Amino acid sequence: MQWLIALETDGDPITSCRLMNIFRRKGVSIVTLAMAARPEGFSVIAVADTPESAVEHIFNFLRRVEGVQLVTYYRHEPLGDASFVFIDADVDSSSIARFLQTFPESKLIFASHGKYLLEIPGDRKAHSASLDFGKQEILPFARVKTSIPQPELVTAQAS
Amino acid sequence: MGKQFNGSEILLESLRRENVEFFFGLPGGVVLPLYDALYSSGVRHLLVRHEQAAAFAADGYARVTGKVGVCLGTSGPGATNLTTGLMSAMMDSIPVVALTGQVPLPLIGKDAFQECDTIGISMPSTKRSFLVRSAADLPSVIHQAFKTAISGRPGPVLVDLPKSVLMESAEPTYPTTPGVEQLERIREWTDEDLERAAEMILESRRAVFYVGGGVIAANAWQELRELAELTQIPVTTTLMGLGAFPSAHPLSLGMLGMHGSYATNQSICNCDLLIGVGVRFDDRVTGRLKDFASLAKKIHIDVDPAEVNKNVRVDVGLIGDARETIHALLGALKRHLREGKDPAPPVRQQWLQRIESWRSEHPLTYDKYGHTVKPQYVIETISRHAAEDAVVSVDVGQHQMWAAQFWEFHKPRTWLSSSGLGSMGYGFPAAMGAQLAFPNRQVIAIVGDGGFQMTLNDLATVAQYRVPVKIAIINNRALGMVRQWQEIFFEKRYCDIDLSFAPDFAKLAESYGIRGVRVDHRTDVPDAVRDFLSDREPRLIDFWVDPAENVYPIVPPGASLAEMVVEPPRVLVEEEEALDDLWAV
Repeated sequence: MQWLIALETDGDPITSCRLMNIFRRKGVSIVTLAMAARPEGFSVIAVADTPESAVEHIFNFLRRVEGVQLVTYYRHEPLGDASFVFIDADVDSSSIARFLQTFPESKLIFASHGKYLLEIPGDRKAHSASLDFGKQEILPFARVKTSIPQPELVTAQAS
Repeated sequence: MGKQFNGSEILLESLRRENVEFFFGLPGGVVLPLYDALYSSGVRHLLVRHEQAAAFAADGYARVTGKVGVCLGTSGPGATNLTTGLMSAMMDSIPVVALTGQVPLPLIGKDAFQECDTIGISMPSTKRSFLVRSAADLPSVIHQAFKTAISGRPGPVLVDLPKSVLMESAEPTYPTTPGVEQLERIREWTDEDLERAAEMILESRRAVFYVGGGVIAANAWQELRELAELTQIPVTTTLMGLGAFPSAHPLSLGMLGMHGSYATNQSICNCDLLIGVGVRFDDRVTGRLKDFASLAKKIHIDVDPAEVNKNVRVDVGLIGDARETIHALLGALKRHLREGKDPAPPVRQQWLQRIESWRSEHPLTYDKYGHTVKPQYVIETISRHAAEDAVVSVDVGQHQMWAAQFWEFHKPRTWLSSSGLGSMGYGFPAAMGAQLAFPNRQVIAIVGDGGFQMTLNDLATVAQYRVPVKIAIINNRALGMVRQWQEIFFEKRYCDIDLSFAPDFAKLAESYGIRGVRVDHRTDVPDAVRDFLSDREPRLIDFWVDPAENVYPIVPPGASLAEMVVEPPRVLVEEEEALDDLWAV
């Protein structure tokens, strides 16, 4: 099954090296990957083939790696009910333009080296079926897990 | 402009502010500026004879104290020699900070003398690593390194220190957080999750606590005991969890898994609720995964979300600090008790009686009447004569399993074992680190002749600093565990396990100025042990034990816990003669 993993890390390149090593060791089969530098650090998106049974573990493993600030997992949803779209403009450079014409309100999540992740506005989801989904360069995804901080922090004296 | 210091001085002051009492290391070219600062700093440093021993000693220190252990190696080979110790700490979640020298910044990447990519090499064996690029960064990097090592799931952190940084001048600004850290204890479980776990406990009839190193790391042993006693649910520990629950407690089951006892493994196979606390469902514990505790619902309490549902799917995962979570569970169960629901219904006693019957069927035992020195007898005797708060440090192999089976544990943080990585050579240097942490307690290294030969060069360190560690060698003149596997699983095709070419360890100890004796008769064991433990000097006993003894029970690889072999196969009379010639190759 295909998944899209989006990560944000601190600015230390060591963290990015760790990520690639983790992908290798955990058997994450990467189909395509892009990385971008931000003022605060790096952004990475990877489309990967991973068995569904491994997703929870890899998600939890990634989110607790030192230096990783944010992890989000998206599941490939080929049947049209998708809120996010991954576009690989390397395959067809016109695809991003076509998409933005169809969804001008869409929000750019990630863009680097011809790889784009965009969020489709909520009221347009039903219309997404009109797009030529299933083609290699445009993949629909649904967000399934994110590490946006929510846990309760219980501050305590070290024993 | 404030006062300027060089990087080495800033580093030592940063360590002092992290309450580092001492660290273990070995100097080399690129760390000479640091040792020059050390000369007049008053920070205590112990010179080892191999950096691997420094890493193991730092690990041993960390396990007994719960604080961060610190080790130092120079660049290149000094750093690579730390790798095994770091990987062992990583596998067992032990807080260690490794300081490594590095060539000057302009030379990095130029294949300079004693340069290596330390960060790259150590990446999989550390929780985090830092390359310091300026002396001014040292205070914050060191603080961050210590905080990372000890927070959440503890683990090793490496700080790579270029020589130019150690020599550079800077005006330091130290972090203002107090010496006692305000640790953030993460809790991801909800009140609904906790209540569900409490209800599962109340509904269970045959529950077992499965407890690991995470309980010790979280200092949660008192809460665990209270919970076990409130619910009357028996407790089994992993190799890492030994000491978390007293061996003599009526609810103690001892160790489970590949060399766990018959009763304990049967408990796991027949329980209807398994409550894992600070564990990771390791293959040495579970045996064949699909059959592990197959009749049981499962609760998993762990601080690391990546461990929940990694190997075994559980019904309730409570991600958070073990101490906080057990405390909350106690609160929930006490509330139920006030409402009339007893967490320890009478059915629990039936379960405990059933477990006792299994214990009677196949107790952990050995031949107590043979003429040879049995390794189990040696370990039991030392345990009987040791102080209750004695620390025991083991190496890797058969003796490790016998110590896990036959040592009586009274307190936590008294057991040192390279459990996950299983690194031979660990036991003696780890004991050294533990002894330096507690100079007035008994610290006993129980090691095999194979593992001891990997790190015995640090007898010099023990002699130099008069570290009063006691070293008991369980000497079967072989790589015993390998021999056992070749005997059982490879049709006795013994290959390269003969260690009869070895020094006389007692004489070797004497050559270092350490009293050493050999014991090779059963009746000499008690007096030798009493004498061995009677003083505050480093001592060594070389126990020549039965080389044919095997560790039982054993769960064969790929088998379930229920398929454990509890005793050696009965041999025909003519086969007994062949046992005299164990090393045919």
